[in-house]
Amino acid sequence: MTFVDSFAESTDDVLVSQAAAGDEGAFEQLFERHRRQVARIAGRFFAQRDQIEEIIQDSFTKAYFALNTYHGTHEASFRAWLAQITVNCCYDHLRRSRRRPEQGFEDIEETEAHHFSQRLRSSKDIEAKLIARDLAVKLLARLSAEDRLVLTLLDVEGFSVAEIAEMTNWSISKVKVRAHRARAHLRRVLRRYL
Amino acid sequence: MLEKNSQKKEELDRAGRLLLQAAVADDREVEAAALAPFLFTRIKAAIAAERRQREESSWMPLILVARRVIPAMALMALLAAVLTFWPGSSRSVATDEEVLFGPAEPGVEQTVLASRNGLSRDEVFNIVVDRNYGVNKK
Repeated sequence: MTFVDSFAESTDDVLVSQAAAGDEGAFEQLFERHRRQVARIAGRFFAQRDQIEEIIQDSFTKAYFALNTYHGTHEASFRAWLAQITVNCCYDHLRRSRRRPEQGFEDIEETEAHHFSQRLRSSKDIEAKLIARDLAVKLLARLSAEDRLVLTLLDVEGFSVAEIAEMTNWSISKVKVRAHRARAHLRRVLRRYL
Repeated sequence: MLEKNSQKKEELDRAGRLLLQAAVADDREVEAAALAPFLFTRIKAAIAAERRQREESSWMPLILVARRVIPAMALMALLAAVLTFWPGSSRSVATDEEVLFGPAEPGVEQTVLASRNGLSRDEVFNIVVDRNYGVNKK
């Protein structure tokens, strides 16, 4: 039985209280349990492996220092709490990448633009797989971090407006306004190719 | 026209959704990132670095406050010293009496009858009686 296995039976809440008291093994068990979930959320915003790893690292580091603020009462709540931290980490990284234009603000080459335009015009049933990921990343880099966050949580993750509001600590009306503006912005970006 | 516009809008929204889905990392990439070797070791290192930074930064507010307070206090001390030893500064400090009755004339003794407590009728009566008693005694 390894060090981590000894915590396998414990609930998340028990592990959190042990980790908050300085038990590294308990925190490692939490990491083992939730690393995939964190990676999956990060993968919704970032396509590259090193970026996803960075989000995992940041999320667990932030979670570690915030363990004392966690007051979960049921099994799923640590998961939700960690998801909230991960989403906020993704948001911070999106904002930072907007400040560094070399990462994601590359101009789309003419051939790429032509290819994308052809794809959009050729069929009514455009499959996501037909759009090259790199190009999609470049196009989405034209959105602000807030726009990208809201649209990804709504359209990719399928969260409700209320859930997003809770996750981001924004008001429901702010999420709605953001979503409306983000869609309008994305339409403007895409209109050039349609 | 309106219908055409709304159709175009829908088309753009659909393309936008597809774009968002296309930008998502594939499952293999996500799995590889989640199972990256030494990830927990890196997290532990990040936690240790963050802890060090927090410990260092806990002194920073004090240092920042000291940086502002020390020159301010030094300036105040300097001003106080200048005001204390400035020639003629003692003249400018007026006593309470000077403020109330003006500067004292040299050679004239001034008596200030501060009526802190006014004499009551009984006290006046007692003084008169005592004085009369003294006169009669003589």
